[in-house]
Amino acid sequence: MQSFELLLQGFSVALQPTNLMWALLGSILGTAIGVLPGIGPALTIALLLPVTISVAPTSAFIMFAGVLYGAMYGGSTTSILINTPGESGSMMTALEGNKMARTGRGAAALATAAIGSFVAGTIATLLLTFAAPVIAEIAFYFKPADYFALIILAFTSVAVVMGSSRVRGFISLFIGLALGVVGIDKMTGAARLTFGVPGLFDGIELTVVLVSLFAVGEILYVASRYRPGAGDTTALKGQTWMTKEDWKRSWKPWLRGTALGFPMGALPAGGSEIPTMLSYTLERKLSKHSEEFGHGAIEGVAGPEAANNAAAAGMLVPLLTLGLPTSATAAVLLAAFQNYGLQPGPFLFTSNPELIWGLIASLYIGNVMLLVLNLPLVGIWVKLLLIPRPQLYAGILVFAMIGIWGLSGQVIDLIVMVTVGIVGYVMRVYDFPIAPVLIGLILGPMAEVQLRTALAAAQGNPVVLVSTPLSAIMLVIAALFLLAPIVLNRLKANA
Amino acid sequence: MSTNPGSGLPETGKGGGARAVSRPWWLGLAVIALGGVCLYGSTSLAQSARYSSIGPGLFVTIAGGGLVILGVMLLVQIARGEQFEPQDAEDAAGDMKANPVALGTALVAVLLPIFTIETLGLPITAMLSFTLVARSFSSRKLLLDLVYGAILGTAAWFLFSGLGLQLGAFLPIAGF
Repeated sequence: MQSFELLLQGFSVALQPTNLMWALLGSILGTAIGVLPGIGPALTIALLLPVTISVAPTSAFIMFAGVLYGAMYGGSTTSILINTPGESGSMMTALEGNKMARTGRGAAALATAAIGSFVAGTIATLLLTFAAPVIAEIAFYFKPADYFALIILAFTSVAVVMGSSRVRGFISLFIGLALGVVGIDKMTGAARLTFGVPGLFDGIELTVVLVSLFAVGEILYVASRYRPGAGDTTALKGQTWMTKEDWKRSWKPWLRGTALGFPMGALPAGGSEIPTMLSYTLERKLSKHSEEFGHGAIEGVAGPEAANNAAAAGMLVPLLTLGLPTSATAAVLLAAFQNYGLQPGPFLFTSNPELIWGLIASLYIGNVMLLVLNLPLVGIWVKLLLIPRPQLYAGILVFAMIGIWGLSGQVIDLIVMVTVGIVGYVMRVYDFPIAPVLIGLILGPMAEVQLRTALAAAQGNPVVLVSTPLSAIMLVIAALFLLAPIVLNRLKANA
Repeated sequence: MSTNPGSGLPETGKGGGARAVSRPWWLGLAVIALGGVCLYGSTSLAQSARYSSIGPGLFVTIAGGGLVILGVMLLVQIARGEQFEPQDAEDAAGDMKANPVALGTALVAVLLPIFTIETLGLPITAMLSFTLVARSFSSRKLLLDLVYGAILGTAAWFLFSGLGLQLGAFLPIAGF
């Protein structure tokens, strides 16, 4: 039970008054951005990065954890009350939750979402507590070839699974890879794709790309197709919270949602869209009240909300144990680690246990805080939506500008911001997935280092890349990801 | 929200075959051009090195070559009539036609800092960009937006400078 002792140490870190304050700040900020449109957890953490650099890493990550979980809670509130999911994982919640709210059961929908998120978040954090050290232990034995194969697997699965088209998924990924090679090559000192611009010698920061794609791209896109007048907020006055029947119908979906969300969030092509969608479909099939689906079935809120929160915790498994980000939010968290000169992975568990375990412990604390913050204060959060959209998006641009200008004070970063922002606009218009750009940008250089190390050790013999069973298996799975849809289509066409 | 989360597919509201198929050839060409830039950049770099057998140029070549191939594949898809459905976002309708004036105004707001941030400083740049974005979202309260932008820019400058961010001088052109 070494994990348990380490977790207790983690609690002694996370329960320090200053760290509790950071967790509270993160939770409040996270809920607010979950409620507001145009800003997600990835963008918020990216914008906080330059500010938190003077804060101790443990405190910063405790705050980021609050932002991550808080955004999930905030997103469900707006999905239910006004049918606008603040983030993609809340899409399913909007479907049944908003119907419930319209038929006077909004309070019950909010309660099952919040309690389900709490249950799922807690169970998933528990799973993280015990799974992470085991995986980290295994990862100790990973050779560069294994890491390289793992990254290739992440590339193919991210490009194939995210978005509606494989070609567009891969174009996004390769744009990220191209952005990742810009700058001085660390091994040889050669300047790559800098075209003589000194400002590019240090490479292009993930934060700049992320803020440009998410904030600038979104502002340009929404401005061009702005549709004023979001839905009306449903009043909660006089509604009853969960009845005995609601509890009975909710607890199983919570657990099933957790069981789907956690492992799927931990997979290389993780994210919350697929597990929430699966959970919704599953609950619809299993429910004794399937006729209620589409008209406000509580299972359709309970399951996906649980899946959403469990996936968020699942995402931390590959990030903390292997240094492998599987979503935009995980990519920016990895960038945050790198900002502090830390590399997530098995060595971080031994070199910096108070950070890792403080972070994990703060997830438990954040979950409790969010439950308390969300249910009684729901009225306050909804008021945030009264900020007029023109001024809200204008404010987002000001913060994006500060985030980028504050990084290095170089005009070249602002030029990159505009260029990448326009790319972000085009990607929205032509439906390209955005996360693969970030994954390519942050994992591309890592893939290159691992490939070089592996080949250098084998005197350039490429067979080394499939020399361990693990690397061979992962490369085969990566190839399957790529080829299976093509083969299936052929078979279907022939049949 | 015109997305129907149940099916995971956007409700397009467009009548399938009745609508003329748009063919954005330029999109495929842009991807190829981007790949071409990478490949051009890789010509001056060594593809192999003595010890690791891969040099600084290899990944640049892979990224560039990949983009060229994918660009060609995209062109083939476009030729076959691939449809591109704009993404739905909160506050934006994917099936709406783009408003060029609003898009242009927002673009000016984003471009402006490149020219003004070193001379006029962050607070004034923020004020101007804020007002332009608000205008692109059809706000007609010009004076009020200028005031909001100025307050936000100034407050943010003091707050973030205080937190240790290097945001430059308050009003560089005036020397402070």
